[in-house]
This record gives sequence, structure tokens and C-alpha cells, in this order.
Amino acid sequence: MADNGIGTSKLDNSTFITQSNLECKNLYDYLKTRPPNTLERLYNHPAICLAVYRELPELARQYVIRILFVEQPVPQAVVASWGSQSFAREHNYVTKVLTELNVWMEGSLPGGLIGWILSPTFKRNLKIALLGGGKQWSMSSALEPDKNARDVSFLDTYSSERWECVLHYMVGSQQQEGISADAVRILLHAKLMKRDEEDGSPVITRQGFQFLLLDRQAQVWHFLLQYLDTVEQRGLDLVECLTFLFQLSFSTLGKDYSTEGMSAGLLIFLQHLREFGLVYQRKRKAGRFYPTRLALNITNSQNKNAPLLEEDSPKGYIIVETNYRVYAYTDSNLQVALIALFTELMYRFPNLVVGIITRDSIRQALRGGITADQIIGYLKQHAHPQMLAADQKQTLPPTVVDQIKLWELERNRLTYHEGVLYSQFLSQADFNVLKEYAQSNGVLIWCNKEKRTLVVNKNAHDEVKKFWKKYSKGS
Amino acid sequence: MNNIELPVEKEPEVKSTDDTSLLVIILDTNPGQKLLRENPNIITQVVDSVVAFGNSHLMQKAQNKLAILTCHSKTSQFIYPGPKKLLDVRQIDGQYEAFTLVEKTVKQNITSILSMENSGIVTESLLAGAVAMALCYIARIQRTKANGVKLNCRILVVTGSSDSASQYMNYMNVFFTSQKQNIVIDVCALDQHLSLLQQGCDITGGLYLKVPQVSALLQYLLWVFLPEPPIREKLILPPPVKVDYRAACFCHRELIDIGYVCSVCLSIFCKFSPICTTCHTVFKIPGPLAVKPKKKKIKM
Amino acid sequence: MNDDDDPKEYRWETGYEKTWEAIKEDDEGFLEASVADIILRAKRKRQAQKQSSQKLGMMRHLYLLLDCSESMSSQDLKPTRMICTLKILEGFIEEFFDQNPISQLGIILMQNKRADKVSELAGNFRKHIKYLQSLSKTNLVGEPSLQNGLEVAISSLKLLPAHASREILIILGSLTTCDPGDINTTITKLKQEGIRCSIIGLAAEVHVCRQLANETKGTYSVILDDCHFKDLLYQQVEPPPAAVALESSLIKMGFPHQMNTEGTDEPLTMCMCHVDSIEEGSKLTTGGYYCPQCLSKYCELPVECRACGLTLVSAPHLARSYHHLFPAANYTELAVSNQNRFCYACQKPFGDQDKQIYECPSCKKIFCIDCDIFIHDILHTCPGCATDLATFQITRN
Repeated sequence: MADNGIGTSKLDNSTFITQSNLECKNLYDYLKTRPPNTLERLYNHPAICLAVYRELPELARQYVIRILFVEQPVPQAVVASWGSQSFAREHNYVTKVLTELNVWMEGSLPGGLIGWILSPTFKRNLKIALLGGGKQWSMSSALEPDKNARDVSFLDTYSSERWECVLHYMVGSQQQEGISADAVRILLHAKLMKRDEEDGSPVITRQGFQFLLLDRQAQVWHFLLQYLDTVEQRGLDLVECLTFLFQLSFSTLGKDYSTEGMSAGLLIFLQHLREFGLVYQRKRKAGRFYPTRLALNITNSQNKNAPLLEEDSPKGYIIVETNYRVYAYTDSNLQVALIALFTELMYRFPNLVVGIITRDSIRQALRGGITADQIIGYLKQHAHPQMLAADQKQTLPPTVVDQIKLWELERNRLTYHEGVLYSQFLSQADFNVLKEYAQSNGVLIWCNKEKRTLVVNKNAHDEVKKFWKKYSKGS
Repeated sequence: MNNIELPVEKEPEVKSTDDTSLLVIILDTNPGQKLLRENPNIITQVVDSVVAFGNSHLMQKAQNKLAILTCHSKTSQFIYPGPKKLLDVRQIDGQYEAFTLVEKTVKQNITSILSMENSGIVTESLLAGAVAMALCYIARIQRTKANGVKLNCRILVVTGSSDSASQYMNYMNVFFTSQKQNIVIDVCALDQHLSLLQQGCDITGGLYLKVPQVSALLQYLLWVFLPEPPIREKLILPPPVKVDYRAACFCHRELIDIGYVCSVCLSIFCKFSPICTTCHTVFKIPGPLAVKPKKKKIKM
Repeated sequence: MNDDDDPKEYRWETGYEKTWEAIKEDDEGFLEASVADIILRAKRKRQAQKQSSQKLGMMRHLYLLLDCSESMSSQDLKPTRMICTLKILEGFIEEFFDQNPISQLGIILMQNKRADKVSELAGNFRKHIKYLQSLSKTNLVGEPSLQNGLEVAISSLKLLPAHASREILIILGSLTTCDPGDINTTITKLKQEGIRCSIIGLAAEVHVCRQLANETKGTYSVILDDCHFKDLLYQQVEPPPAAVALESSLIKMGFPHQMNTEGTDEPLTMCMCHVDSIEEGSKLTTGGYYCPQCLSKYCELPVECRACGLTLVSAPHLARSYHHLFPAANYTELAVSNQNRFCYACQKPFGDQDKQIYECPSCKKIFCIDCDIFIHDILHTCPGCATDLATFQITRN
């Protein structure tokens, strides 16, 4: 039988549109991509071990702490027996994560069994972080009491001023002062802004808008990841910077720390952090610095929906009513600009803006590349305390949430899959065989019995072709 | 046309609970308890283990909270965070600053409490009162938390004393309050079997463990009590023991199967007595017992 | 009876409190703090009224007389009086059995001049709640008959042993009652039997209800809105003072325990509660509670043994009621002084907002207002007394 049945006419590639969304990695995704020897170097510091530990899935944290004090490998079967049967899939996932991050590795036991053992460096340093011992963290040298000590509220105002400066720059508010060429370079590198084609001045991109809608913590983390990408070009040591960053994230708000003994590279890094408002320094040469709220728990991005227990954490300001009206108690131009991204503004008062969510306003935002989830997330994050008090379960009116999602779905009536078309089968039987094969492997995208055509996933094309060759030879 | 949807390859949905978790540890440091009378040095080891355990709890999530209480016969006291201003602690070694703070504060406060303890040794630790304090503390945290924050609270009792029936009423009050407030009570017995506290675990859905060796306390704590109640279902943990809920009579403190209950104050007696010793009610002499069948009609 | 003796009279006569004068703006011009203060005060006042060492009727037998007449379809409570009432009752019944675990409850409906006992006196709250839920679809027709309802309840309550506390709780939406005879004879009968009748009116005050409540030592109140309704209803959760006619006696009870001998598996057996039902749950099980007298098996406590009539309870069930009898002592109010910097129980430092602090009379520890309320409302144990051996022993005796 001739195999001319396979006319591999590719589907038009241009219809395949990649939605270039802002990719926000967490620490796990970031570290996963680092080579093992970098990881090993990173684990040399307790602060990083602590941060990695906190990023692990819940079950993994329990596993690690259970074998933290065990000196020899623990048989894999024993570890598997810790979790209950119904959560076996989660167990497998956890095992994968721990292996990928090099937190534990396989080790053989005397009886030929294979067991898990924690990476010795990780284990030693996590123990140090938990129980003490080892060397002091680099920034904790003793300091004289500060004559110009700053309190928490000062640091909060300072940090949000600095950070908003960056955001303001992005939305193109006129004021140009206060942001360095370095920061602009990072924004460009992160594709949050791009050079305008005509005059070369930076303008915000769609990722930039999505970035603006993230919560503050996620913004900082994303921004820093982009910064770290460029660290090596600047001649700074990535491991050194990461270590410092995590030490900073485990410092105490309102305390001062010493710059003594910091390398020249780190001092430059510190100045950059100072520019973004992650640390406060009175003078460049003050010899001490105060971390701000932005720098704390920097990795904690997966729990971004968990509001802090502290009473002094920033309060939300947005009220959404079931009639689609949005009231924002704010005087910040930035926040008004953000609200205006997806609402039609109606009134503006010195401390209050009223807008209305309409189909058009949402569609405009969607066209701008913002997703419904991002809009809802933004409204939720900044919900006024009154909204939270009203109903524990649902912060936003469900009608509004559902409607925004429906408006998004309206636009997504087509989904795109890259595929390869198989046509001109000589017999129905041939067609059926190939269809069965593709279907059982889960790579069939579409088929039509009458016309004897089918489309399979592009990635599986080689495999299907091989199968077809084998099949047609055999028969 | 039969259009077939692509099966989507998915990562297993790993639910991570974003809730803040508050752990209140009640540590019995009464020097009168048998365990400490026999071997006073063991207290250091117990305190170290409890502090390390508390820090492990804080290590789980950045937003986790911890409070530690000591319990004695004369008083109970918060030793972390304590009413006083927190110490200004600087890092001394590679330990995370917040953990150093816990360790320092706890040790300092315990030292001062133990030095204040006078010679009169009382073996009974008033654990029920300490739990009551913990409940008030939790109620305050629940009241003052920001709107929309979910807070899981639990109490862990670590003790080497025995639970005396004299505190029965207080125990029951705190157990039912915990149950109402959805607070889990876990109990780690160091020395003796605690039947009353075991009932508390059963009522509130907590875990009860009698540690076979105090020297391995930290490991037992980390294995059994570190997982928060929402994760416990995913792990194999010691099964709940069947709890004996039989009543003890008020007159002889003996467990009974059939007893007499005062209709006024619900005191339990093992034999008929003409006067209630608790509320001093005089009972009608049962007289000819044959009158009694005038009891409630049996319903169908 | 002389109506003039009633000290409370009508609300518009005595209840004249200039609440608006009590409200003061705080520094920022807000009223909230002041209003919250008034609410807290009211709460404390109610607590102070609770007296300890009073004889209480602990073994309560309560009939719920529910008006199902046309008047219940009125929409002044949302969505209707009936649905609102059922919703609140559900919570009440749960709370009632939580606080009075060895008590029993029954439901009587008053509808179309008749009274039907629809739910017998029983101690299983699930059954009652299930029944209540099915009620939401009943037709609300005709007038209620108070007398018929009371008579049905009397006929069942008078059979109870003398030590039982007998109560009737009436929820009345109608302003009229259609009775076959003179209701005063029924009231006299209730008085003789020592049955306490409390009434919650949903519309307006009715003379006959006031008289009924007064004569039988019950309470009568008319609701203001649904929150007030709930509040009034929940006040009935507290056991009432024992009626004079109430005899005290010792009641024989069984304390079953799970029978499991180590190492051997229990045989599969049928429990007595589900033996004649074909519903779900009527399966053979291994565990269960065995009556110590006749060894019948039950899957739930408390229960009355079907075979030998012994009341079966577990010790915590009794303990749940103890706080009614041994409440925590009331605290005395003090002005904030400098020596007391923080609340003993919750460690809250006293700041400027705290105008009053509270001292326990026996252990002399200081508490904040929130703890005061929490301790007396929910906890029922003074943390100060319970942590000091000296005061601990005093309070116990």
C-alpha cells in the first residue's frame, strides 16, 4: 500500500497566536532553572535555605523537617508511607520538587535499598538557621545606637514613595526625576517598557500594564528577578547578591543593620536597592541601613492573597458595588490611572474617584492585554476594609466578578492548537487505525470521518508518522 | 463531525493553605512534677526542644504566629511574646534573628520564673487555667486581626504532671470553649498518661501522644505535632485512641457504669444518698421503688 | 391578678431611656465607640443579673408551640415571618441541646384552630431540625388556638416525673386566638402543674399572653426586629430557675462506654436507634455504646434506652451543663490605674481607649472588657482563679 495517504500539509502557522502574558515566576521556578553547582553554592547560606524551605509545598516541608536530624538515608518506601494513600499524587509531586531543587538526593542504604538523604550543605545550613551555630550573617555586625533612628511609619512612607516613583515613571507621568538610567534599563530589559519607535523614549508595554496590576510584593519580586538577570553583566556576583537579598528579607522592620564588611559589589547592589526603596539609608556612607517592608519576606509571592496579621499593614481603598460602580478612596494619580485602565471614570474628588465598570471599559482593558483575573485580583487586593468586613466569603460582589469573566470569555471563543493535517487516506480502515492511535495517545485535535481527514498535535507528528510507516509496511 | 478536545496535562493541584496559623504552647515547668523532681536537669532539655519546635512552626510560613505559656501551681505566665516590650536582640550566630529572639525571651523569662519559685513544692499544675488563658489570648488575636484574614489556632500542652480530677470542671469548660471556637488542643504527655486531657483532644479533634522517651522529645514533637490540622489528613499519624468517657462519681472518684445524678446540680453519685453533697438539696426518699416506674413514657 | 404590680408595664411607659443622650462623639466625631460601649454595657448588665447557686431546672422538657396560622405569612420579617422564624429556630435548637444536653424538646403546631403534636419530646436535635426544615412549605391557614395548643402540651407534660422541669415556649404571630373554652381554666391548670410558659410575640402585646406568662412565671416579650427576635429566643437557652413545685431527686443514669476488648474485633451488630428504620445509617456497625443495664447498643448519646428505659449519657454531656450551676464570679469594675498595665488573660496592654478594667473578686486579677465578656459568655472559668492553687480551691468549695 502506498503511503501517499500522508499529505503533511501544515496548518497555517500564522493563526497561532501566543498570548504574551507577563510571566511571574516564584522562587521555585527561578531556582529550578539554575545549575546544580549554583544551587549548592546558594545553600551555603542559612538565609537562602530558610527561604527555599518556606517556598516548598506544605508536605515537602514536613518531609524535610522529619529527616533533618537523620544522618543516614531514609528508604524511599518509608518516606512514601508517611503520606496517606489518597494523596499519593501529591507525594509524587513533592518528591519531584525536592529532587529538582537538589534539597534531597538519592543515597543507597547498606541493604541495597535506595533512600533519600538531604543535601549535606542544605541540611547543615537549615539547622544553623533553626537552632543556631555557624557564622553571623554578613550584615549583622554590632552597631552603635543610631542618633537618627527611623520608625516603621517613616520607613513605610519612604519605601512606598520610592517604589511609586518607579511605577509613575512607567505610566509616563511627567515627573522624570528620581529614576536612574539603571532602573530604566531594567524596565526595558524586563520588557515592561520599550523604546518608542519614533523618538526612542521608553513607553509602557502590555506586560507593563499587567505588572502594574500585580500586588506590591509580586511587583518587587518580579522586578528583582529581572534585575538579577542583569547582575552578572554588571560584574556583580549572583550568589552574593541573592544571599544578601534573602538576608534582607529575613531582617526585622525598624531595625538598623551595618554595612561593615560588605564587598564593593554588594555596596553597589545596596545603592540600587536603596533607589527602589527596599532599604533606607540616610547617607550613602552612613554605615548603616534600614530594610523597609518591601524587602521583607520577598519570596513570599505564592501566598500573596494572605493578608498580613499586623494591624499596621497598608489598607485597601476600593469599594465595588453590585451596580458595577467602583469607588476608590485615593489621591494618588497612579492608583487613579490604574483604575482608569478598566473603568470609565465618572467623578473625581480630592480623595475619591468614582468609576463604572462597563463592557466597553473591560473590553478595552482586555484588548490591552490585561486578563480578567488580573482585574479581579487587583480589585480584591485593594478592597476597602469595609468590603472585607461585610462578608467573609466573598469580597467582591459575585455578579461583577462573573460578568467580568464572561466579558473575557466572549473574546476567547477560539482556541488555537498547532497541528498537522493528515488527509487523503485510501480507505476508511486506514483512517480509523490512525484515528484510534492518535486518540488513544491523546494527540488528536480534530477529525472528520466523511472526508477522512484528521489533525494531530504538532509535537506528536513524528510519532504518528512513525506509527503510520510501521503500520503501512506491516499491512 | 466529531471534534475531540485535547486532554490537558495538569500538575496535581497542590493546595497550599494560605491561612495564618497561631500556635500556643503551654509548657508545664512546675518543679513539683514527678519528672522534674526525679531529674531536675531534664527541664533544660524540654525547654530546648519546645523552643526548637516553636521555631520550626515559625519556619513553616512567614506569617505564622507563636505564643508560649508556662504553667505552675501558683500562676501561669506568657513567656513569649510576653507583656513586656520585646528584647532588642541582635544576631549572635547563623540563627535567624526572629528565632534567636524567641529563644532568648523564653530562656530569660523561664529563669526569672523559676528563681521566683519558692521552696513549697506543689505537685499539681493548673493546666486548665493555663488553657483558659490561652483561649483568652486567642480570642483577642481573633478580635484584633484585620478583616479577611483566616487564622487557624491550636494549643499544644506539654506536661509531665498528672491531670487531677479536681480541675474537672475547668477542663470541661475549656474543652467545650475550644470546640466552639474551632481551636484544636494537642497534648504531649511526658511522663504520665493523662485521661482527662485525652478527652479534650478527642472533643476538639486534637492529637494525644505519650512520649516514650523524653530524650527524643524534639523528634516526637516535630513528627506528630508540627503538621497543622489541615495537613494532618495527608499524613499517617498516630490513630485516635478510644477515650473512656465514663463518669467518675463525686463521692469516691471512681469510674462507674450506672450512677445517680442529682436533678438540680447534675452531680454524680455511685449510691443513693438522701442529700446532695454539692448543692445540699434534700432528696425525696425513694420509698417504695415501685413508684418510680412513673417515668417518662417510652417514645417510639 | 393585679396588673399594676407588674413593674415593667409597657415599653413606652417605663422603657423611656434617653439613649441619644448616652451617645457621645469621640475625638474624631465618630459615634461607633459610644454605641459599642452601650452594647457592652447591656451585655454586662445581663451577666450581672445571672445569679449563681440558684436552683435551676436542669432537666428541661420544653414544648415549642409554633404558630402556623395565616398571620405567619406576613412579610414584616424577611422573607416571611414563618421562614425567618424557622431559620432562627434551627440555630436555637442546636444551641439548646448544646447547652442542655440531657433535656428534651417537642414541637406542636397551631393551625386552623387546631393543635397538632408533630414532634414528640425527644433529645435528638437532628430529628427536630430535619422536621423544621420540612415545615417551610406548609400552608399557613386560619387562626391559631392558644388553648388547644396548651392543652396538647399539658397532656404530655403532666406525665413526666416530678423532677423534670416543664416548659412551654410559644411563638405567636397572630394577635387573636380562637379557643373552644375559657382559657383561664387552662392557665390555672398550667399553674397547678408547675409548667412555665414563655411567649415571644411577633406582632404586638396581647393581654392574655401577658397574663399567661405572669401566672406561670414565664417571660413575655414582643420582638422589635429579627435580631431582637434571635436575642429573645436565645435567652431561652439558659435553664430557668427551678419551679417551686419541682422536686429534687436522684435519677439513675447509665454511663456506657465502648466495649472493645483488646485484640478482638467486635462483631457487626445493629444499633437500637436504627433497628426499625430503613433509612440511611441503618447498617451493621462494629462500634457503639452499650447500655450497662441491658446491653442494647446505641450509636449516639445521650439517649433513653429503648429496652430498659435507663437514660444513657456520657460524662461530658453532664459537664456541658455545669457552667450554668457554677458560673464564674462577676467581676467588679475599676478605673484604670497605673499599676495595672495589661490584662491578665489576654496580655492586652491597657491604653487610652480602656476606660474601665475589671477585677475578679476572688483572685484579684485584672481583666479587660473583652475578656470579661468572653469569660462570662463562653468560657465560664476565670483564668485567674484557675491558675492559682489558692483561689482555685476557694472557688471550688
